[in-house]
Amino acid sequence: MVRFENVGMRYGEGPEVLRDVNFALEPGSLTFLTGPSGAGKTTLLRLAFLAEKPSRGLISLFGRELARLKRTDLPPLRRRIGVVFQEFRLLDHLSAFDNVALPLRLSGRRAAAYESDVEELLSWVGLGEKLHSKPPTLSGGEQQRVAIARAVVAKPDLLLADEPTGNVDSDIGERLIRLFAELNRFGTTVMIATHDRNLIEATRARELRLIDGRLVEMRGAR
Amino acid sequence: MKQRRGRILPREEGSPSLDLVIAIMGFLAALALGGVLISYHSAQSWQAGLTGRLTVQILPQGEVPPQNEVNSAMAILQSTPGVASAVVLSDSENVALVEPWLGRDAAIAALPFPRLIDVKLAPGAMPDVDALNRRLKAAAPHAVLDDHRRWIGRLRTASDAVVLTALAILALIAVATAATVAFATRAGLAAHRSVVELLHLMGAQDRFIARAFERHYFISALLAAAFGAMLAAAGFVAAGSLDRLGISGVSFLPPLGLSFADLPWLASVPIGAAIIAWATARVSVIVSLRELY
Repeated sequence: MVRFENVGMRYGEGPEVLRDVNFALEPGSLTFLTGPSGAGKTTLLRLAFLAEKPSRGLISLFGRELARLKRTDLPPLRRRIGVVFQEFRLLDHLSAFDNVALPLRLSGRRAAAYESDVEELLSWVGLGEKLHSKPPTLSGGEQQRVAIARAVVAKPDLLLADEPTGNVDSDIGERLIRLFAELNRFGTTVMIATHDRNLIEATRARELRLIDGRLVEMRGAR
Repeated sequence: MKQRRGRILPREEGSPSLDLVIAIMGFLAALALGGVLISYHSAQSWQAGLTGRLTVQILPQGEVPPQNEVNSAMAILQSTPGVASAVVLSDSENVALVEPWLGRDAAIAALPFPRLIDVKLAPGAMPDVDALNRRLKAAAPHAVLDDHRRWIGRLRTASDAVVLTALAILALIAVATAATVAFATRAGLAAHRSVVELLHLMGAQDRFIARAFERHYFISALLAAAFGAMLAAAGFVAAGSLDRLGISGVSFLPPLGLSFADLPWLASVPIGAAIIAWATARVSVIVSLRELY
């Protein structure tokens, strides 16, 4: 599903943020990415969701080596990935409904075909009453739930989440993790970058830890 | 509940300066196009008025043209096959001819003015002008035959020059409009950079993102250029009304007004501006997006 081989990453002339990163995510796996702030978790996720090109090394996604692909081959791959950004990145001019529906709209689905799915998902994350609210009127936790609903609505093959439970209380956090676990059970490969030890312990999934840009396998899947 | 889909890009707050520039471009383009139409119609009507006609001048010998030469020339003209009519212009008709240059009260009687014979040819008749000229010269040495070929040739050259100049102006306006829209599109992309990047990361094709920009600039350019073209059209209609009322600035210039039948041509200005804006926005967005991975 995802394979990093000797991947290194530096921004401009700066120091290497990631060094000799090697790992693979098997289809249908659930993996936590941990490490202190500034260790490179967000950079690793950005490489995986095709926001950046690595400075060196090889990345394969869905069995295809990215270095061999043309730029026009990338959008269909991106549409197979759901991303929960740390800073949410919702579109402020669109309602919660339209934000969540965006991936379906980009894949060319008709509004009539996804309306009820989107409404149901927003109800499930506790925002059934706020379909028409725009992000600036929502709390941080509500925005995060909209961002998560947007990432999962198209049932992506790969879900990458950067601190997805950072702004929500423990009840909602558990509920969101159940949502990720459910998606994972139906075949979505999930990688979650987090500091939340409770979350990691509760799921007992594989943990990869980044320390100073190097990746260490802390725990295999149980 | 039926949901209404929101616009992918935030509604532009409108850029009055861009709209103003495009309205001015539309106005200038409509003026240039109107110039082409006026020049074309004038050349057509002048040519139609002169084709199928000849003019014979009997130049004055001393103060007045010799009457016997006028009579000889008339006799030759009336016996020439293909000539439908030959009429000697009266003094009042001569005054009307020089009125645009010398004024209504020109005392042409005091001037050495030639006798003019207006010759109408039968439809389709092509008399041998050189032979006719020789016969006229033999009978009336002060006769000068003018078949207007030189005048029509010059008229055509002048008209072509006006049309080419106007087309060059239209081309410059098109380039300036494209450059303005390209600049505005880049500014729009910069203003919505975070939205554009997000759509890109979510797998939107470049064409999909470009469409959101194209639509905005297409509509803006259409409306702004339509406003400018309508102002120009109003000017042409007003000038046409003055012409029809006989109030004209310079009487030997062609009428500066356009007829209502010509006005639909001016509609091509906003349509052209909208297409230029659409194409420029599309190319600008796609080129900018190629900078992203």
